[in-house]
Amino acid sequence: MSAMEYAKELDLRNLPCPMPVVKISKGIKEVAVGQIVKAVTTDPGALTDFPAWAKTSGNQIVETQEASGEVRFFIKRLK
Amino acid sequence: MEASLRDELVRLFDTKLSRQMLLNLETCSRCGLCTPACHAYASMPLPKYAPAFRAEVVRRIYKRYFTALGRFAPVLGEAKPLTDAALEELREAAYSCTGCRRCMVYCPFGIDTQQIMSIAKLLLIGAEAAPEILSLLADVSISKGESIETFKEGFLQGIKRLETQVVARWKVEAGTTPIPTEVEGADMLYVALAGAHSIIPAAVVFNAARENWTLSFFEAVNFGAFVGDPGKTQLILDRIVREALRLGVKEVCICECGTAVRVAKQLSGTQPFRVVSLTEVHARYLREGRIRVKKLPGSHTYHDPCQIARNGGVYDEPRAILGRIVEDFREMSPDPKYNWCCGGGGGLVAMGEDTLDFRMRSSRVKADQIRESRADVVVTACENCHTQLENINAHYGLGKEVKFLSSLLADALVAP
Amino acid sequence: MATLNYLILVPMVYVAVAVFVCGTLWRVFRLLRSPRLATPLAIYPVKKPGWLYAAGDALLLPTVLRHNPLLWLALALFHLGLLALCIGHLELVADIRWLQIVPHAIFLGKGAVGLAMFVCLLYFLSRRMVSPTKELSVPEDFLLLVLLLLTVLFGAQMDWARNWYDYSTMSVDDYRAYLWSLVTGKPSIASVEGAGHSFMLVVHVFFANLLLLAFPFTKLMHAIFTFALNRIRRG
Ligand code: SF4
Ligand code: SF4
Repeated sequence: MSAMEYAKELDLRNLPCPMPVVKISKGIKEVAVGQIVKAVTTDPGALTDFPAWAKTSGNQIVETQEASGEVRFFIKRLK
Repeated sequence: MEASLRDELVRLFDTKLSRQMLLNLETCSRCGLCTPACHAYASMPLPKYAPAFRAEVVRRIYKRYFTALGRFAPVLGEAKPLTDAALEELREAAYSCTGCRRCMVYCPFGIDTQQIMSIAKLLLIGAEAAPEILSLLADVSISKGESIETFKEGFLQGIKRLETQVVARWKVEAGTTPIPTEVEGADMLYVALAGAHSIIPAAVVFNAARENWTLSFFEAVNFGAFVGDPGKTQLILDRIVREALRLGVKEVCICECGTAVRVAKQLSGTQPFRVVSLTEVHARYLREGRIRVKKLPGSHTYHDPCQIARNGGVYDEPRAILGRIVEDFREMSPDPKYNWCCGGGGGLVAMGEDTLDFRMRSSRVKADQIRESRADVVVTACENCHTQLENINAHYGLGKEVKFLSSLLADALVAP
Repeated sequence: MATLNYLILVPMVYVAVAVFVCGTLWRVFRLLRSPRLATPLAIYPVKKPGWLYAAGDALLLPTVLRHNPLLWLALALFHLGLLALCIGHLELVADIRWLQIVPHAIFLGKGAVGLAMFVCLLYFLSRRMVSPTKELSVPEDFLLLVLLLLTVLFGAQMDWARNWYDYSTMSVDDYRAYLWSLVTGKPSIASVEGAGHSFMLVVHVFFANLLLLAFPFTKLMHAIFTFALNRIRRG
């Protein structure tokens, strides 16, 4: 698994609905355009929410990693 | 405000003028009986938090554009044109109301402040002044409905990961899937939320009751309803309706989310399936003897989620369940119809940290009520309420435990 | 002065009644014409039959009784008084035989009804002057209360005079002759002219006219809408 450079890390495990999407929406605004946010989640719904959120908000999931029961999204701020 | 925008907003306003809405707008005698009914006012006695005051914010605009008196003698009813300042007032009125409809129980006419606030919310959408995050959440849900095929794989993998946790709590027979998906001809479609906590305990109980169920790809919550957009509300609901029709289920069971339950029950239209809440299903399992339970120690109280109880009629089921699974149950309010709202509805919890301060200040009466119940555990059946109750618990230092009814039931299961 | 009296006592009454009837019908018609939402908007638990409970809510105001007993008492007195006065005015037009099951003179309260309403109206006004009802109130609310107060005051004054200090420059038959002439479309104010109470009558009728004119355009419509709205709440 390659080490990915990121500007900010968000722990979004075990959060109530709809906090994962709320937090990532906020978090992405805290990095500069072109920078990457790493978001860690375990919730199955988040696995569909994040791609749908990226599509809607115009950001890009550059990589998805899975390890020890959790999923890490690397999301690049595009605008 | 530009004239074209104003015209557009007046047109939007007009689309909300159903028969019920006209009655809500034209009947209020401003008697003020509803004033102490609102938890926001009861916690912070400022006139702007009185239900009729909020409603007047909308009514003033209604009078100006839709009534004879407001057009010819605006001063009598304080009719006001739509301006940027008016929008700001609408925003404050609408997003300090949780839509709990407790005020409606007090009003001699039964004026529905939540309905009136839905006009304010729609105008804010029209003026692009609605809370951005709520609109975004609604759009994410819709986008998921449009291209579910793209997202399916990830979801199924996520579900697989949960299966061991489900089996650890309730063994299923060999060959049975612990969390079934896409089962055509299943009896029940279960619509959960994104979090594992809304799937695992529910799955455990379904399996214990040998339910022929299948998990929906979609989350139950309807952000369209929170932001007050009727079109989006329907689109988000339709994803679930279509899935239920495709699988041919007899029942659609909505997880512990008040808004989702109310929207699905009341807006699905006539369908070949029934919409039920998870709490109703659980009460049924107990009644029919499909699951066996033990009594859990500790004193428990139940917070009625407004959209499920006062606005949905599910009062007896949670009490029937708790009566079977806890040793010590204490009512919070002598008449559950009068239970205080947690203060988190109407999209306030979904707006996260931004509304936290207001949510805490407006829920002082709820905190008092919980404290006075003298129970150790506060049980509820709504994700929103749960989050807000956790926040209240921490903010007011109540030292309680906040639990979902479904997870309590899963804990109480015993082998047959 | 005589012309003004005539204008108030005859044409203005006709106009007020016409506006009242047509305006109210128009408001109800507009309501029926608007689309009905299919969504259930009840407050639970719902009890059957819904219409019966809704009628109970609208007529007995149980929610007010529960949350503000003093206001309930005032509202009950006021609205019952209103009902009694409506009956009294009908009896002023013509004898209503079946109402005499309980034998009584016209305006069966002998002035007490008017007084009770007057007190209630003062109470309503005073409520509007203190927070938090003050902030909720708009000029319309005060205007209607003042109109009601004046109508009741001048109307009751005639009744009080007749009943309490034996001052009856106009008899029941005089009022009746005037009202009957209006009803039959042959208006004549001869019987109520030039008496000591004529001025009172003119002022009373003037404010009553204003109330009738205001009815379809104001919250007074709650008298009708309360039934529909309560029906919705009861499911
Ligand atoms: S109780 Fe009803 S009529 Fe009275 S002020 Fe409140 S909404 Fe208006
Ligand atoms: S619906 Fe609830 S929050 Fe809104 S005004 Fe009424 S009591 Fe207050």
